[in-house]
Amino acid sequence: MSDPVLVVVFYLISAITVVAALGVVLTRNIVYAAVFLVGTFAGVAGIFVLLNADFLAAVQLLVYAGAIAILIIFAIMMTRDTRKGSRSNEQRWPAFIMAVLMLAVLLGGISQTIWPVSVLAPLETTTEKLGKLLLNEYILPFEVVSVLLVAAMIGAIVISRED
Amino acid sequence: MNLYLLGPELSLIGLAFLVILVDLATHNKNVVAALAGIGLVVPAAWAVSLWGQTASSFYGALVVDSYSIFFKLLFIAAAALVILMSVQYSKRFAPYQGEYYAVILLATAGMMFMASTQELISIYISLELASISLYVLASFLKDAKSSEAGIKYLLLGAVSSAVLLYGMALLYGATGSTKLNEIAQAIQESMQRDQGAVLPAIVLGAIFMAGGFGFKIAAVPFQMWAPDVYEGAPTPITGFLTGASKAAGFAVILRVFFVALGNQAPLPVDWPALFAVLSALTMTVGNLSAIPQANIKRMLAYSSIAHAGFILVGVAAFSSQGVGGVAYYLLGYMFTSMGAFAAIVAISERLGSDQIADYSGLARRAPLLALILAICLISLIGLPPTVGFVAKIYVFWAALQQGLLWLVLFGVLNSVISAYYYLRVVKAMYLGAPASEEPLPVSRTLVVALAVAVIAVLAIGIFPQPWLDFGTGAAIVLIP
Amino acid sequence: MTIGLGHFLTLGAVLFCIGLYGVLAKRNAIVILMAIELMFNAINVTMVAFSRYITPNMLTGQVFAIFIITVAAAEAAVGLGIILCLYRNRETVDAEQFNLMKW
Repeated sequence: MSDPVLVVVFYLISAITVVAALGVVLTRNIVYAAVFLVGTFAGVAGIFVLLNADFLAAVQLLVYAGAIAILIIFAIMMTRDTRKGSRSNEQRWPAFIMAVLMLAVLLGGISQTIWPVSVLAPLETTTEKLGKLLLNEYILPFEVVSVLLVAAMIGAIVISRED
Repeated sequence: MNLYLLGPELSLIGLAFLVILVDLATHNKNVVAALAGIGLVVPAAWAVSLWGQTASSFYGALVVDSYSIFFKLLFIAAAALVILMSVQYSKRFAPYQGEYYAVILLATAGMMFMASTQELISIYISLELASISLYVLASFLKDAKSSEAGIKYLLLGAVSSAVLLYGMALLYGATGSTKLNEIAQAIQESMQRDQGAVLPAIVLGAIFMAGGFGFKIAAVPFQMWAPDVYEGAPTPITGFLTGASKAAGFAVILRVFFVALGNQAPLPVDWPALFAVLSALTMTVGNLSAIPQANIKRMLAYSSIAHAGFILVGVAAFSSQGVGGVAYYLLGYMFTSMGAFAAIVAISERLGSDQIADYSGLARRAPLLALILAICLISLIGLPPTVGFVAKIYVFWAALQQGLLWLVLFGVLNSVISAYYYLRVVKAMYLGAPASEEPLPVSRTLVVALAVAVIAVLAIGIFPQPWLDFGTGAAIVLIP
Repeated sequence: MTIGLGHFLTLGAVLFCIGLYGVLAKRNAIVILMAIELMFNAINVTMVAFSRYITPNMLTGQVFAIFIITVAAAEAAVGLGIILCLYRNRETVDAEQFNLMKW
């Protein structure tokens, strides 16, 4: 991608995503944290568009920004534990140091590796190909994940029911 | 696509759904437990009928070989023991017994998939099927301790999944594939191209994946979840976590490291040294933390961390003998820990306590129960004539042959330390004064579970050869 | 200036570490769960970037990302269920007594 417009768009979306992610972990208001989280999800969807993953961008918005964010906001309201807010524990600095060290290791590994980048152009539309892949090559994990959803559904109902 | 190869898993998932349906129709929950327990015969028989085959299906996602069948039978046996242990216990969550058994079966299916796939996406999904089911089972009592155990297990488990996934992503990025054999080939080619140098992303990815799997087997430094979760979870589930979930973790580690990452000559990274250090740390931390414990579930949690360390000795040997030893050890450890936890279920049912102090004089109130628990503890120390003895000898011997003398000495020293805290329980049972003379009756299903476990512990220990052959037959699939 | 694989991987690594910080430093179990979702999003960015640059017409990384999104949703549902149960027992979701790094 060397189109100057796309370059600007990439940096813009990245900045929004990172700032929103920092908001999630730094704000002391738990409702704000949830709103920042939606911002991160939307930003990541934008990144997916830049990466030619149109279907995934839609899924990201529907599942993450739609379902998971709503679920989290429901949980915040139902636990009514917002008075104390989103405080940090006493290990804020060790945690910060660990995160920075991890970032250094990751960036070191990423920049030192010569990635086997392909010269092929990406697919224009991905939905059809993804559908075929899911029902052919990845049929086994596809079926297992449906069993996983059943297990999670049973579990969530049993555990959260009041009795 | 060959559905016949998928038979054990398919029939198990079908059984889980049947259990839910029958649970709706009947008020007698013992029927549900009986269905779940007896129904396990179908997947077990199916798995046996596949023994000796080597086949793959579903575009290479599913592999059926002696290695996967070995672990499938191990998980089914563990599930059967958990169900037997739960018949009385599950009255505590009365309205949800059907769901309880169904989720146990689904967790077992997840573990079976884990042992029989060699593709990263399928490994991840089956790992999550087992994990999410176990998060639910850990919090099934729905009291403060159990739900805290559940949330700790879930949050730390999700973080470890994230680490595992990052490792998988790096490995996929560096090799362009998610199939273990293609990854192995790509690593080999890139090493040849770069004169033996390994891409840093591959090293990083492998270490991240080892960390993610290390959480599953509760190896240091990812062991911190185990004591709280084991203590808070329903006791039969604690047995399931130590016996089956740990074996599933090892099944995946062995396959990933022997098929994809350790298949090259020379090795891209000195894996044996890495595993040896992890092993020494894990057994020492587990044993030293077990000594001061007063709660027997917590003590056995630390003991299970220590045993992960002993099993890692066999992984560190990085030979077919080592892998055979690991398989045999996992089989023996499954029966031993299940037997111990069945005894704990029986005792806490009557005493209402898991404190070691309350076990005082138990030998007089329940002589047989005390004897069974003592045999299991002796097997955990690693003394003859139990399976624990042969298993330790075998993995230590495999390590010796690879020149890991220091690790073996470490292991022997640790076994001696561990005798102290296991024998403390035996001493309390046999030499302590009983709080009352009233005998402790044991329910019939628990008697069956205890009998099966203790007979297995003794039989596999006294006649080890067929079982060692069974384990070695599984191992040669990975390292000929 | 060209945007390449490295830019997307860097973004993924930064998001991952922000999530890691949140997991280690936060007290509220729901916020820890949010931080974990950040980590999963970071992995998805990495996966899709690899899919675009390493295997552009195989889409392996995108398939992986779809599965990760599904599992993350299931995990969040179960996690929030357990958090509700915990709240009923303790009237708090403050994780003071489950200080993650002390374990």
